[in-house]
Amino acid sequence: MATTTATITLSSADITGDALNLTKSTILNKANTATGLDQFTGITTVVYAGAQTAKNIVDAGDYANTTTSHKVYIKNSSVGTSDFVTVEIGGDNIIMGQLYPGDWCFFPYEGTLDVDIDTSAVGMKVEYGVFSQSVAS
Amino acid sequence: MATTTATLTLSSADITGHSFNMTQSAILTKAASSTGLDEFTGITSRKYTAAQTDTVIVDKGDYVDTTVGHKVYIRNTNTGNSDYILVELEGTNIFLGRLYPGDWMFIPYAGTKNILVTTVALNVGIEYGVFSQSTVS
Repeated sequence: MATTTATITLSSADITGDALNLTKSTILNKANTATGLDQFTGITTVVYAGAQTAKNIVDAGDYANTTTSHKVYIKNSSVGTSDFVTVEIGGDNIIMGQLYPGDWCFFPYEGTLDVDIDTSAVGMKVEYGVFSQSVAS
Repeated sequence: MATTTATLTLSSADITGHSFNMTQSAILTKAASSTGLDEFTGITSRKYTAAQTDTVIVDKGDYVDTTVGHKVYIRNTNTGNSDYILVELEGTNIFLGRLYPGDWMFIPYAGTKNILVTTVALNVGIEYGVFSQSTVS
C-alpha cells in the first residue's frame, strides 16, 4: 500500500509573546489500521470563468463512508487579497470558512456529505484533491 | 501586525504512478487584506479521561463572523491506530471527518458555527488552536 505523508508547519515570530514554531507530520492511513490510503484523485486545478455558487468539488457518492479516513485538500490559488473561496459542507451548504488568496486547507472527510465551494469573483483559480480509502474499514 | 505562516507538505512515492511532492505556504491574513491575523488562542492540549460527545472546542461566540480569515488547527495526539476524534460543525450531523491518531487538520473558520468533537475511547489526546482576526474586515 502507498505511504503518503502530510506535514504542517505553523510559525510566527510575533503572534504571541513567544515564537510559535509547530511542525507535525502524519502518515495517511485507512481508518483503524496502519495501512496507507490507496486512492488519490490527483490535484485538480480549475480556473472558473464565472463566479461559482455551491459548486460541488467533492461528491460523497464517490467515496466509502462513515468508518473512513479520507482527507481533502483545497487551495485558493488566486492572487491579490480579496477574491475568496467559501468552503461548504452538505446539502444545506453549511459554511466552514473562507480561503483568501494563497490560503489552503486540509481536513478529514467522512464521505457522508458533499463538499462545495463558492467563489467571489470571476477568473478565480482553485486547486483541490482527495486522498481516500477504497473501502470502509 | 503579526506574520504567521502555515505550510503544508504532501508527499508520496507511490500513491500514484509518479512521485508526488507538493508544498504550499500561506501567510495568514485578515479577510480581504494583507494585514496579518492578530489573535491566537495558543495551542490547547487536552487528554479526555472519558469519551466525549459533541464537546465544543471552538465556540463561535468567541469570534467575529462571516467576513473573516480565521483558521483552526486540530490534532489527535494519541498513538496506535483506532482511537479517533470525529470533528463536526454545529448542526445536525454536519460531520467533517475522523482524525485518527497522529492526524491533524487545518481549516478556514467563518465563526458562524461551533466546532465539536466526539471521541469513543478513554484517554484520547487532542490539541487545537485558533488563529483569528479581532474585527470583521
